[in-house]
Amino acid sequence: MYKIFVLIILSFFSVSSTAYATVDLSGKTITWVVPFKEGGGTSRFARFIQPFLTKYLPGNPDIQVMHIPGGGAIKGSNYFQKNAKPDGTYLFGCSTSVIVNVATGNPLVEYNLSEYRPVLLLPQNTHWFTRTDLADGPHDLSKLLERDLVLYALKTPASADLFHIWVFDKLGIKGAKPIPGLSSSGGYQAFLRGEIHISSHGAANYKKKVIPEIEKGKVVDLMTLGIIGADGSVSRNPLAPNAPTFPEMYEKVTGEKLSGDDLEAFYSIGAAWSQASKSMLLPEGTPDEIVQVFRDAATKMVNDPEFKEKATKALGPFPLIIGEEAGEIVKKAAVFSDNTKEQLNTVLKNNKFTFRVR
Amino acid sequence: MEQFFSSLVQLFEITHLAFLFGGTLLGLIVGILPGMGGTSGLALVLPFVFTLEPSYALAMMIGVLAPTTTSDTFPAVLMGIPGTSGSQATVMDGFPLSKKGMAARALSAAFSSSLLGGVFGAIILSISIYYAIPIIMTFGFGEQFLLVVLALLMVGALTGENFLKGVTACCLGLIIGSIGTAPITGDSRYTFDTLYLIEGVPLVIVGLGLFAIPEIVGLLDSKGAIAKSLKNEKGWLIGIKDVCKNWFLVLRCSTLGCLVGALPGLGGTVVDWIAYSHLKQTVKDTSQLGKGDIRGVIAPESANNAKEGGALIPTLLFGIPGSGNKVLLLGGFVLIGIEPGLDMVTTNLDLTYLMIWSLALANILGAGICIGFASHISKITLVPYYILAPVMICLIFFAAFNVNRDWYDFIGLLTFGLIGIAFKNFGWSRPALLIGFFLSTKVELLSYQTHAVYGLSFISRPVSIILILLCLATILLLLRQKFDASYNSNLVKNKVQQICFVLFLLSLPVTMIWSIAHLDYRANLYPTSLSVIAIFLLTFILLIKIVDLRKIASLDNAVLRFANTHIFEIGARFNNQLYYYASFLGYLGMNFILGFPIASVLFINLFILFHDKKAFKISICISAVLIILLWFLSSLLTLQFPNGAIGLLIDMPWWLGGDLN
Repeated sequence: MYKIFVLIILSFFSVSSTAYATVDLSGKTITWVVPFKEGGGTSRFARFIQPFLTKYLPGNPDIQVMHIPGGGAIKGSNYFQKNAKPDGTYLFGCSTSVIVNVATGNPLVEYNLSEYRPVLLLPQNTHWFTRTDLADGPHDLSKLLERDLVLYALKTPASADLFHIWVFDKLGIKGAKPIPGLSSSGGYQAFLRGEIHISSHGAANYKKKVIPEIEKGKVVDLMTLGIIGADGSVSRNPLAPNAPTFPEMYEKVTGEKLSGDDLEAFYSIGAAWSQASKSMLLPEGTPDEIVQVFRDAATKMVNDPEFKEKATKALGPFPLIIGEEAGEIVKKAAVFSDNTKEQLNTVLKNNKFTFRVR
Repeated sequence: MEQFFSSLVQLFEITHLAFLFGGTLLGLIVGILPGMGGTSGLALVLPFVFTLEPSYALAMMIGVLAPTTTSDTFPAVLMGIPGTSGSQATVMDGFPLSKKGMAARALSAAFSSSLLGGVFGAIILSISIYYAIPIIMTFGFGEQFLLVVLALLMVGALTGENFLKGVTACCLGLIIGSIGTAPITGDSRYTFDTLYLIEGVPLVIVGLGLFAIPEIVGLLDSKGAIAKSLKNEKGWLIGIKDVCKNWFLVLRCSTLGCLVGALPGLGGTVVDWIAYSHLKQTVKDTSQLGKGDIRGVIAPESANNAKEGGALIPTLLFGIPGSGNKVLLLGGFVLIGIEPGLDMVTTNLDLTYLMIWSLALANILGAGICIGFASHISKITLVPYYILAPVMICLIFFAAFNVNRDWYDFIGLLTFGLIGIAFKNFGWSRPALLIGFFLSTKVELLSYQTHAVYGLSFISRPVSIILILLCLATILLLLRQKFDASYNSNLVKNKVQQICFVLFLLSLPVTMIWSIAHLDYRANLYPTSLSVIAIFLLTFILLIKIVDLRKIASLDNAVLRFANTHIFEIGARFNNQLYYYASFLGYLGMNFILGFPIASVLFINLFILFHDKKAFKISICISAVLIILLWFLSSLLTLQFPNGAIGLLIDMPWWLGGDLN
């Protein structure tokens, strides 16, 4: 499918394009640190972008992707904090779990993520769905709200899956009970076997595995997280345009608009979970002109016809976020307000977890 | 069906064939090296698979696994040493045949029956894939939990000489597997606040440490058995004719191999003996068995290749390893982003078929190469041990380091190497430890998930009842068969060390309980209860050992005699092997000073020259090849070797740990 709509917001354009023509990376080798194993999502993301970036950076520097897995992504991230030089020769491949380590206050974290300089973000989106017999048609939550027991998969409370607990709590699903230790695909299998009641997937697997089941009539959509715009508006996911977003569902169930502390928590969660799902960042203290050179290269990259052709398949259907807006999102994702932390800790406590956001 | 054949077309693309062929060659080589097998071979290729397309990686991994049980016949027949654990029974008749001057006949019969068995296994696997979806859908959390328990029981009970030690090894594996972040609460268990252990002990480290290092030490210790040269041997056609004559035996043993292979956890280690005893029970004339009967070669060889197909069934459908080397295959799946289960028969069906075809083709290729180039390949058995060993050690260190890119990996590797040497010499089951380790997280999660979804009602589901009956049958079978009346502990050496080793093992569960006591009960319930069981079992073993030491007459009691059988292993070579192991510690020290590549070159040269002062040409050639290989791998994998202390004094190039720009 040749359908990609690339949305680029380049705000705060303070330096003109000629002023930083002096930045030249020819003959240099850029090290792109990925704190995960080869073959994972962040690794594939880096490897996909790598040749395009070489093509559009001034001087066409070599880029080598260096994997430093281990320690729940903390080892590689700490390595980057200690070793990266802010001269454009180091890049960081970040993902939701790297952010969640910071946001939940893991004491082993030594990296100062909120001060990193983002170049581009790759958003992702979550789809929730249920079995046909547990809902009155698509997008209906009434039956699940009445049930005594609504089981769903949860990897661990120390991961981004923590946000599922918050989402179901806000919607008032009283029977909601997490089954820990299930990955999203393990959870989906259990869902198909009828052992759990609500399941979720990202865009790629939703398209590949869930849509066929919806067409067979076994599964119905519930909602999506929604795509958060630069102005804070939440629009529907183009993969399931009929499905309501979480704020819409909230309004439908409670009769009130999502607002105040809840809305703030939603923005933080959305930033960590959805908007900054995968990202490419420069180290703390990188000068503006170098950051701008990378952002320009990224902008040229998304307009490359070859990139447009391959990106939907390799990266998913969502437009990349480039520029200063990306920085705001990473800050929002990495630094949760006390109120948001309090909300998360309350739902953790209610579900009898001992893990706490610090 | 369409996908079934399109996968075949895909496999015949030149790159797929190249990877399959490369894997097959590697598999043949590790099969020939005594003691090395599929587990070590896979551990060596794992660092490379993630750079490949999934389909190439699968072709290569299956290529490594399939022919190890074909080529392991070379050392079995020519040297009387099993190449892998799967060819122990082949030695029984293969070696006598070779002494009678019929090595060629024995080898060709073994290769042809391996080929037939392997292809048969692939056929059974593809049939079972066809019926897989309903099977997977009926296996909920409860059934999966029981399947895992069955796997643990079987591997624990049947892979060691003494069932108490087997079950204990399993239990210790489960405890080691519970190190790291608790899956339910996210608490750190037994990590001592280090980053290294947060994700648990790396699988490749455990696999290489337990299997590869003890075998290399054993190889050094044996000083290399004198192999028989294959020059001027005749009788290749006779061997093939023997197989044709015994086609029904091949079919029976292949079926047996497939069935035993499909039982989770059991696989490799026992299937050749089962086939051999089947042969004993079913043929009329047993007078030549053990003295050079060709059927004694055909039966185990057809079974141990057929088991690969069978063992892939639980591996692909449930992610429960069918045998020890499937543990590493599953590790490879994770690296290339494939999750076993329903996906394997739906969205990833093409990859599953590709694996089946690879399995069949690798068996054909492997047997073909073995027959066609037998006299050349058999020369590998003639390479002196002191050249093989240091090169293998360097490769293993490389494979280990590449997992996490962490110095600690070297230390972990040597720790598990030491445990592996003790396990091997003192008669503890290494497969049981490895499979227990791998399944630990699954056991913990499945027990919790089963409880959350079903409570106790899962027991009454029909498949559960069948599985529970199978578990009980395993225990019964065990209690009936495992009694070796001829066991006599008077021949045993190193009894004190063997007792001390039990005390050493006791320290793990004891410290585990102590270090996690403060955690939430959902984080410590599982490791604590396992530790209590382990302490109980180990104390019991300790008591029996002490009682045996004092030769107390109460051991005439039937139950105690049963527990006492093989409570000690001969263990005479342990001290010698420790001596060789110490040289690895020296290598580790050199690593810290010089960095990995320089230390490796130095180690290989020192090691070879120490044993043969005239061999400097060989050692220099090997070092040159090694350094080029490491340099090439560094750029291929974007791998920076850690800087030794020397890096603080001299500016090194990037790949040796220096700065880039």
